[in-house]
Amino acid sequence: MTERAIVVGAGLAGLMGALALTEAGCRPLVLAKGLGITHWVGGTLDVLGTTGNQSLRVALDDLIANNPDHPYAKLGISEIEAGIARFRAVMQQAHYPYAGSLERNMILPTALGALRPTAYAPITMVAGDMRQGGELLIAGFHELRDFYPPLAAANLREQGVAVRNVYLELPPSAKRLDYSTRTFAFFFDDPDFRQAIGRQLREVRGKATRIGLPAVLGLRDPVEAVADLQRLTGAQIFEIPTLPPSIPGMRLMNIFRRTIEAAGGRVQIGSTVHRAGGNADRLTHLYSEAAAHDQEHRVAVALLATGGIAGGGIGTDYTGRVWDSALDLPLHAPAGREGWFASRFLHREGHPIFAAGVATDDQLRPLDSAGNLVYENVAVAGMALAGSDPVQERSVTGLTVTTGWHAGNLLARAMQAHLETSN
Amino acid sequence: MQNTTRQIQTDVLVIGGGATGLGTVRDLAMRGIRTVLVEKGDLTHGTTGRYHGLLHSGGRYVVKDPQSATECAEENAILRRIMPQYIEDTSGFFVITPWDDPDYGDRFLKACHDTRVPVQEISVEEALRREPVLNPKISRVFEVPDGSADSFMSAYGIARSATQYGASILNYHFVTDLVREGDRIVAAIVEDLRTGEHKRIEATYILNTAGAWAGKIAQLADLRVNVMPGKGTMIAMNHRMVNTVINRCKLPADGDILVPIHTVSVIGTTDIHVLDPDVYGIEPDEVTFLMEEGEKMIPGFTRYRALRAWAGVRPLYREESSAVSDRDVSRAYKLLDHRKRDGVDGFISIVGGKWTTYRLMAEEIVDIVAARLGVSTPCRTAQEVIPGGEESKLYWLGHNLAHVEADDSYGDLLCECELVTRKQVVQAIRGGAANLDDVRRETRLGMGPCQGGFCTYRAAALWGEVKPDAVPTNAKNNGKLAQDGAGMPGTALVRHFLQERWKGLTSIMWGDQLRQARLDQLIYVDTLGIDLLPEHIRPPQPENELVTGHPAIATEYHHD
Repeated sequence: MTERAIVVGAGLAGLMGALALTEAGCRPLVLAKGLGITHWVGGTLDVLGTTGNQSLRVALDDLIANNPDHPYAKLGISEIEAGIARFRAVMQQAHYPYAGSLERNMILPTALGALRPTAYAPITMVAGDMRQGGELLIAGFHELRDFYPPLAAANLREQGVAVRNVYLELPPSAKRLDYSTRTFAFFFDDPDFRQAIGRQLREVRGKATRIGLPAVLGLRDPVEAVADLQRLTGAQIFEIPTLPPSIPGMRLMNIFRRTIEAAGGRVQIGSTVHRAGGNADRLTHLYSEAAAHDQEHRVAVALLATGGIAGGGIGTDYTGRVWDSALDLPLHAPAGREGWFASRFLHREGHPIFAAGVATDDQLRPLDSAGNLVYENVAVAGMALAGSDPVQERSVTGLTVTTGWHAGNLLARAMQAHLETSN
Repeated sequence: MQNTTRQIQTDVLVIGGGATGLGTVRDLAMRGIRTVLVEKGDLTHGTTGRYHGLLHSGGRYVVKDPQSATECAEENAILRRIMPQYIEDTSGFFVITPWDDPDYGDRFLKACHDTRVPVQEISVEEALRREPVLNPKISRVFEVPDGSADSFMSAYGIARSATQYGASILNYHFVTDLVREGDRIVAAIVEDLRTGEHKRIEATYILNTAGAWAGKIAQLADLRVNVMPGKGTMIAMNHRMVNTVINRCKLPADGDILVPIHTVSVIGTTDIHVLDPDVYGIEPDEVTFLMEEGEKMIPGFTRYRALRAWAGVRPLYREESSAVSDRDVSRAYKLLDHRKRDGVDGFISIVGGKWTTYRLMAEEIVDIVAARLGVSTPCRTAQEVIPGGEESKLYWLGHNLAHVEADDSYGDLLCECELVTRKQVVQAIRGGAANLDDVRRETRLGMGPCQGGFCTYRAAALWGEVKPDAVPTNAKNNGKLAQDGAGMPGTALVRHFLQERWKGLTSIMWGDQLRQARLDQLIYVDTLGIDLLPEHIRPPQPENELVTGHPAIATEYHHD
């Protein structure tokens, strides 16, 4: 058995890391307990939401200058840009382009009618940018219990947006016993269904120049679906992300998986990495469990991208113990359960426990509490990193994408160097 | 000082909207007596809504509290008959574990016979066959007719029935004063917490069924009722790890009972004397203790997922205050006729007791009042079934699923965890729910593993569609509530419900439940951006306010 590049976790950090390793010819193996954060988030690329009135780039520069332990500070602006550029290029090639910039966040409406900042969004969403005017129409379906046009519209109206809402009728052929976001995505993959919906929308459109729909406009070719609906209605169409499972996230997962596997990588979902073995400064083995038997993997380099508490990579128990469930790396976490939470769920500062993660050096390699390197051939990316709470910063997707890309590239170089010295 | 704007006249005013008060008001109304009930919070805001849901066989009290044991045994049989729709026939085991005195078994058995609590010893093998995760090292097992009961749904059922008989039930009405004229209590001054309006309710009799708050109420009439609030903490575990109530066979102590109810199992309880029934919290060492006691009954208990913790205050009563532990205070109820006891007429208190004995307590207090009012209609609550229970079918775990299957309403599940349909939520909203927590009590919305992660958004949105002109918006802007109140349609509902759920989570949040909280945060903060919605855009409309955070009804403190 040969040494391999192993990526633990198939969220955006793991997938971007695997992509970097793939493109460097390292043929990585992605081992993941299950699907990652793609299926939980709306699918926009949020770099940083707490910018106030500053430009996004200035806010990022400030963050990097003032928070040396923040993962973004370890990347630096040029690596952040490189990760975003690669992400966008992959999406462009897959006919699912992202628009936006690092200069100013666009402002997209949420399914609750809040105005949410994001740097880049799939072009199926950008017509929702509230920096432009014009009357809006928000449309949905009674059958989809994860999206409610009246609620979104009511909250938008309170914020001065001219908006109406409507429920659409499902064509008789689309009657089912149960509906999920996925059921609707399959519907919208069908041009006949789009015809039926487009005709209804044209009738109720009125003066609206833009029409918002739940982000379920197909898995196969959502860009074509949006174009179709725009032709039929004469209005701009945009998707609004809603409750998981996220259709835009599934699109990302599908595109990454295809891209990685086409270039020689492998993505194995359902394999839980639960044990690691190594010597003084190198990780040498990982053990995964699948179908009730243990698999041993020899490691050249490894990327830990297990998603932190959200992804299940950080375990916790009633005694207050906090641990890395895959590699058992030392963690940076508040001591004692009493210090884990603020008293309010929606506390502005978030909850201390959710910033728990692995502390790293500038090359995203794991450090112990004394600041010593644990393994030189391991890097950490995404929500498993200490030093930030991406949910509170509104940087979940930006941080996972850029740290994953950066870590993957660093590991690719480390792997090449390692193979050269061992030959 | 009091701008008393409205007067209400009635025969009997009942104070307290827990099981006892509701049972009392229904009994009064069934006997044709005009009656009004006031409750400062939601119905079941007090101890009724904060217990483990055990329908006592009486087994827990046979040795220490025989009178209470017999009362429980008799009422157990009656409640199964008159409110079967709220009761699950789980049965109950008393098990002797390696940590318990093996000689207690014979004492227990004899005491069951003496108190007429039905009991049968079964073999350890039989017990383990029925409950495979039970500790195999138990030495003896006794079976008793324990059950589990839904104290929320039954309270609403009793309240609806009482209303149909003509009773008037006013929640969010806080008693600020009792008016005494000479040797008689003649009226209560109450504040409508939603509007701030004061009302004077005049009654021939005022009944104090305020449970752990009965001492505070009596004090308003300068009477001394020595209630010792005993706080008990409980944890709901996300599995029916057992289908039978499991009790340790020993004198009642902390962490010695596991009650399977609906989709969860509840471990209880601790017992800590608190000075004020409105001020208490859940301490981390209580949680650790309960988890580790659970391990003695169910090996591996600490690795199950904890769903939620809460605490309630027992309305324990002692005639004179003395330094004994709460565990030593009788669970039997006590009627205090203040005419005989204190020379003050027009006012009767009933204290102590169990949820299981609520009906009996109501019967006893109403018997006295009826006699004094010259009403000879006998009590019928032991015979007359509470509407919905006519078919004599006890609740069973598959109840909700059977309904969903019968109606093919898979597509209408707003709460997948607890199988709550759109229809049920709409009914609860139309039926006068004041917030999503009320909807929860009637339907179990948000009580499953995700603790409202998915259904909060759905139910709040639905509210706006069912009652577009009556979406609760803001709460009273007093301190604690300032952050809570969002002037946005639907947002106050979402924030309030998420916070209510959060309160019960922080003390047990680790493992999968912590992960769940992070997902809920991803949904509400990251995807929906609830924190980005500007607050206080619209001035609140008083009649639509959320009032559950009013200082008068804000129980529990928080570690900040």
